Amino acid sequence: MGVQALLKYIIKKIVTMIPVLVCITVIVFLILHLAPGDPVDLIVGPNVTPEVYENIRNKLGLDQPLTVQYFKFMSNLLRGDLGTSILQQRPVSEIIIERFPVTLELGLSALVISFAIALPAGIIAAVNRNSWPDYACMSGALVGMSMPTFWFGILLMYFFAYKMRLFPISGYGTLRHLVLPAFAMGLTDAAVTARMVRSSMLEVIRQDYIRTARSKGLAEKVVINQHALKNALIPIVTLLGLRMGWLLGGSVILENVFSRPGLGRLIVDSILARDYPVVQGAMIVLTASIMAGNILADILYAVVDPRIKYN
Amino acid sequence: MADNNYLIDIQDKPSSSFSDFRKRLLRSKGAVFGASIIILLIVCAILAPLIAPYGYDEMNLPEGLQAPSQKHLFGTDELGRDIFSRVVFGSRISLQIATIAVGVSLIIGLVLGALAGYYGGIVDFGICALTDTAWAFPMTLLAIAFIAALGPGLVNVMIAVALVSWAGYARLVRGQFLSLREQEFVEAARVLGMSDMRIIFRHILPNSLAPIIVLTTLEVPKAIIVESSLSFLGLGAQPPTPSWGSIISSGRSFIDTAPWISFFPGLMIMLVVLGFNLFGDALRDALDPRLKD
Repeated sequence: MGVQALLKYIIKKIVTMIPVLVCITVIVFLILHLAPGDPVDLIVGPNVTPEVYENIRNKLGLDQPLTVQYFKFMSNLLRGDLGTSILQQRPVSEIIIERFPVTLELGLSALVISFAIALPAGIIAAVNRNSWPDYACMSGALVGMSMPTFWFGILLMYFFAYKMRLFPISGYGTLRHLVLPAFAMGLTDAAVTARMVRSSMLEVIRQDYIRTARSKGLAEKVVINQHALKNALIPIVTLLGLRMGWLLGGSVILENVFSRPGLGRLIVDSILARDYPVVQGAMIVLTASIMAGNILADILYAVVDPRIKYN
Repeated sequence: MADNNYLIDIQDKPSSSFSDFRKRLLRSKGAVFGASIIILLIVCAILAPLIAPYGYDEMNLPEGLQAPSQKHLFGTDELGRDIFSRVVFGSRISLQIATIAVGVSLIIGLVLGALAGYYGGIVDFGICALTDTAWAFPMTLLAIAFIAALGPGLVNVMIAVALVSWAGYARLVRGQFLSLREQEFVEAARVLGMSDMRIIFRHILPNSLAPIIVLTTLEVPKAIIVESSLSFLGLGAQPPTPSWGSIISSGRSFIDTAPWISFFPGLMIMLVVLGFNLFGDALRDALDPRLKD
């Protein structure tokens, strides 16, 4: 597998994502432009002369057909211009650049926690299939999967911030602020991930080469560690990218529980304030990064699995 | 999105009689437990006025922020409203989401998936592009986008949930149709001169029913979580409607002194979601025992 072939594969993956990305911009654009309510009213208020109103409508390009508006929006987007916030009167891109690291920090730390728990739990469950460690791990996973993350976050906040006073209640800034939201998200996500790790491991254990390894008298430990685990890890690597995207999306809720000034909080606040340019921009950036996670998953898979052909 | 591996696995189900299936299902403790919770939810929702000791919006200021007691099983909120009664009435909203919103998304996904799988070609291409896009969005995020356009409110949340959860059905149904349309019995029907509609509804669809039912049992809990998340964020049901998500949200300000306000509705969400997940898993295993790992 040459580097060149891999590069070609990566480029191909990115190219196939372009139509989906375009679709996303169309959907976000349409959703917000067909929304009831006049954006001009939002900016100037109801008590203006018709001339001023027309002037602003004209300046925003709202008097033009929707298709023209969309192409203008896209050409601005490609130049990195996401418009101006109605509420804050400054570029949307500037606001997003401020907020994005907050979301990324939470997503990444939740991912680390999730995999640190899910990998051993899933493997132990698969290796001890249909015995108590399996039942224990999978019951735990089922309960974790069924918990709404925001409620779990509130429970953690109640016990560890209010009662034990180990961590700050909410806010952002220090590592201690990060612990509770990261665990709220990481633990619930570990439930889903552990189930996937388990089934991926079981898939491998069923293979002929595992039977061969066992029948030639290898110790069970060697069979699991050397033969099964290495192969089971291949699809799990893909999971990393997929879960990353998932966690970035999930941060919308938890940022609101713990008052973290990230993209998710920005989106909800802007919806309630009807600051549509911000909603639009933040939505596109968040979705694009989730898709980047998915592409990363595909690429990692190709790098790790020598059986994948790049064409 | 990654939790849908079963969709692929489930397609060739072995022919097994209904009584076998029922026996396998009833033998599973998870299925029985899950089904009991689901039945309890339905009973709660239908008989809410009889079960709840107080009205969901009955205020009693002197009894505000009381801890759970015999008089108020789940305690009271700052306005003295009985949390137990509010939670019981809240089950109606979850049931509405489970039936109406998931039902509409099922119809959308069914129609699009059937069109794509049966006709193929350019129809398939267009629908697949749309499905992949909807699939790429995380459910909650897309639902929030729709709420941004439609405005907050329970009806809009239902529309949003329906509009974000059809992609799973479309993918499943398309796959089913792709594999079934090449089967001999479909070919035979075509040779006999049956119309496309008749072939789709009488021959292909009944054969893909089992996985659709399984998927529905697993889509319902997701929809309930999305609804409660949106209501929690203040984008869904508006006060005084007692959605479980909005009760949790209103309890946040009193979490230190009256944790029961947020605790009980969350517990209910967890139980109901757990019930559907358990039942769905058991249903899948009973429909196709080979899949049970």
